[in-house]
Amino acid sequence: MNLVRALVIVPYFVLATLPLGWLALTSLKTYDDTISTHARFVPWTSPGSDRTSPRFEATTAAYRSLSKPVAGTPRDFYHYLGNSALVGLLSTLAAVSLGTLCAYGFSRFDLPGSKEWLFFILSTRFLPPLAVVVPVVVMYRWFALENTHLGLILLYTSFNLSLAVWLMKGFIEEIPRAFEEAALVDGYTRAQAFLRVIIPQASTGMAVTAVFCLISAWNEFGFAMTLNNYDAKTVPVYFAGLQGNIEGVPWPQIAGGMVLFVAPIVLFTVLVRNHLLKGVTFGTIKQ
Amino acid sequence: MPALVVLLAMNVFPLVFNIYLSFTNADLSGGAARAIGTHNYAVVFSDARYADPITTTALFVLLSVSIELVLGYVLALALRAHIPGKSALLTVLLIPMMLCPVVLSLFWNLILNGHYGILNQLLGAFGLPQPQWLTDDRLEFVSILLVDVWMWTPFMMLVSLAGLNAIPRYIYEAAEIDRASRWMVFRTITLPMSAPLIGLAVLLRATDALKQFDLVLAITGTNDETTQTLSARIYQVVFRNYKVGLGSAYGVVILVAVIAVATIFVRYIDGLNRRQGKAQA
Repeated sequence: MNLVRALVIVPYFVLATLPLGWLALTSLKTYDDTISTHARFVPWTSPGSDRTSPRFEATTAAYRSLSKPVAGTPRDFYHYLGNSALVGLLSTLAAVSLGTLCAYGFSRFDLPGSKEWLFFILSTRFLPPLAVVVPVVVMYRWFALENTHLGLILLYTSFNLSLAVWLMKGFIEEIPRAFEEAALVDGYTRAQAFLRVIIPQASTGMAVTAVFCLISAWNEFGFAMTLNNYDAKTVPVYFAGLQGNIEGVPWPQIAGGMVLFVAPIVLFTVLVRNHLLKGVTFGTIKQ
Repeated sequence: MPALVVLLAMNVFPLVFNIYLSFTNADLSGGAARAIGTHNYAVVFSDARYADPITTTALFVLLSVSIELVLGYVLALALRAHIPGKSALLTVLLIPMMLCPVVLSLFWNLILNGHYGILNQLLGAFGLPQPQWLTDDRLEFVSILLVDVWMWTPFMMLVSLAGLNAIPRYIYEAAEIDRASRWMVFRTITLPMSAPLIGLAVLLRATDALKQFDLVLAITGTNDETTQTLSARIYQVVFRNYKVGLGSAYGVVILVAVIAVATIFVRYIDGLNRRQGKAQA
């Protein structure tokens, strides 16, 4: 049985991690090495002795060239990374603050139709970007929000709210009501009890929620692509635009940029590893 | 509740507006829109070529979700026992689903390239045929499916594992006393008892797969006949041909499908929670 187990896990592990490993290797190559018909997979200090050698000379040239715009793009990679960070952080901040308040309301007060409202909130998450983007484009045109950071921040806040509300509801429900009740008896107002009792108790939950909101804003593509042709372009849109570059796809630079772009997410994934199930199922699975 | 105001403004209004637009001949350049009744829907459903994205999307949802489910479930079964370093192993396996789909699938283009891609070089090393993954009409769809399976099998694995771990030990002990065969145990205990969570995972993945756009755009482009999903079609119609009305009609088709699956999902969770509540009471 153990053998069967290993036969399932080991090949899958290799296949699953290979593309990411290849991404890391590609970022250390020169352009010619990336499109060699003899795979070069051994980073070395000197180039291979002949064409068929698996060795290639590792170089950080791709990373260094990221600060220069690639042919056909007006700005360098870091400009777009900055856009991604700005939009991601601000929308996360907004979604987590609004979501925490909203979740507190739902978990502590018996509101009429609260279950229906909660499910409505959840269902907004399922809307396909491309199916709703057209009216959003028209709407943004009225308010001059097209091609702005604010436009994307608003949109990401709204689509992350459902996640924030559901996750935070789970975290807040884990805090015993007795804590607040004690505070209320001691003469705290509801708002004070929320700020001094609930917020500190829920801070881990808020951090986890923030990570998931940040990841989905960071990775979002449909809206970012259709709403921004220029000013607030995020990294995914920038990379998509490099496809079909006239001078050939600059693979080493792309791979280098991708490594920098996904590295924080890998780090965050490791940090929230114990909450991944909650995060990807909107807290609908209770353990 | 400020949260509800944001959601209403950003989600409900566009929805209603979308339905209105689908009955007009609006275009992206902003000329006056005129109501043209159900003409757009007639276009969506009549012309054989226009209906293609619906078939493609349906096929994609069906195949990707079922392949990911089977793979993920088998992996979860294999990962169920105590293995040294399991939590680290799981974290590594889960990484692909957390990363940006469009960025990673752009990179997959380098892996799948027919001439210098690493996949074909690997196949070649084992003496296997080296197909043109990205340019062969019959394989483009398979390539997108492959990347999607790579990205989302971990999700199925994660949820299946949670389902399996929730099965109490004593049930297995009882089965052992009754000398039930391995297959019997699997069929009457493991499978039915992990089914509720698997159902949830399937519904979640299905709503996600219905929206498929990122991978299509990154791997074959949005105007490819064999891989054009509904979302890709909308992109092409609205942002390339500027036919907002027709695009909105496609949008409504996708929305109806998503809302149907989402409604089932919501009912499902509600039922699941109620059952859990009863079990705890």
